[in-house]
Amino acid sequence: MLSRLALRNAQLLPMAMRGAQSASSVATEYTRPKRLIDPAPVRHGFIPEEWFQAFYSKTGASGPYVFAITVSTYLCSKEIYILEHEYYNGLSLFVICVASVKLFGPKVAQFLDKEIDKYNDELDENRTSQITDYENIIAHEKKEQYNLDGQKMIMEIKKENIKMQLEATYRERLAQVYQEVKKRLDYQVQLQNLERRIAQKHMVQWIVNGVLKAITPDQEKATLQQCIKDLEALAAKA
Amino acid sequence: MAEKFQLKLGGYPAGYDAAKHGPYDPARYYGKPDTSFLDLKLNEIPSWFSRRQKTPQAFAAACSRAFWRWQHKYVQPRRSGVAPFFQVVFAGMIGFYVLNYSKLRHHKNYKFH
Repeated sequence: MLSRLALRNAQLLPMAMRGAQSASSVATEYTRPKRLIDPAPVRHGFIPEEWFQAFYSKTGASGPYVFAITVSTYLCSKEIYILEHEYYNGLSLFVICVASVKLFGPKVAQFLDKEIDKYNDELDENRTSQITDYENIIAHEKKEQYNLDGQKMIMEIKKENIKMQLEATYRERLAQVYQEVKKRLDYQVQLQNLERRIAQKHMVQWIVNGVLKAITPDQEKATLQQCIKDLEALAAKA
Repeated sequence: MAEKFQLKLGGYPAGYDAAKHGPYDPARYYGKPDTSFLDLKLNEIPSWFSRRQKTPQAFAAACSRAFWRWQHKYVQPRRSGVAPFFQVVFAGMIGFYVLNYSKLRHHKNYKFH
């Protein structure tokens, strides 16, 4: 039975929490109850001031006292309130209480107020330090988010880099293709040059051989004679 | 029937809505406010009384609110004094006098009044 109750309360709890969460968004609508600094005013140590004020408009300042005295007189005289031994005991106790309050009250109040202030200040400090902590965390988080935007820029730069690398490789390969084609064409050119040179060489040798073969010994002699003649003619001139 | 009879212990009063009222104040009545008892005329008192809930739960809630009102007024303030202690003592004196009256009345000093 009780466990079922606890279960139901646990089910109700998120609803209350939800309410508490939504409350934070519309915080301006209600006023937060505030702790009083000084307690409500009292007379004679403990009787609420309002009770006297309630009498005041009808009876004036002495009214409540008159009322209290008459009622107590009535109670005592009819012995509704009986003055037995406990009453006199109570009187002495009352005197002791009042005297001790009058004697030690101010000092105790001073001491306790100091303690309360200390305690309160501690709580306040705790609260403010927690708030500043959370504010710092929020600022840190925002900075981290800002840094992450930087990461986006770095990503862009990396993309640019990769594009540049791709471009460089493309150009390199283009150059390579050009080189290879040029090499092959050069080879062809050299081959043709070589062929032509060899053909020329052979042609020249063949013609020279043919010419040499065609020269007869008579022709050689005639040439020699002519040479000698030319030399003589040259010698005569000199 | 089972839906109707539910013993509700703990939790907030039915009228309380955190989004509307803010942080829960145990001294506050969250239902629909009626005319204050002190503002009534004499002939309105019976109808006022008939409008009140008279379940033990409502009575306990009223006592709880009164207790917290007293707490907020005299006990919880930062510069709270000796007043609440005397108030408790005097309330206790009256309460115990009423409780013990059946025994105390044998101590009467006079036969005729």
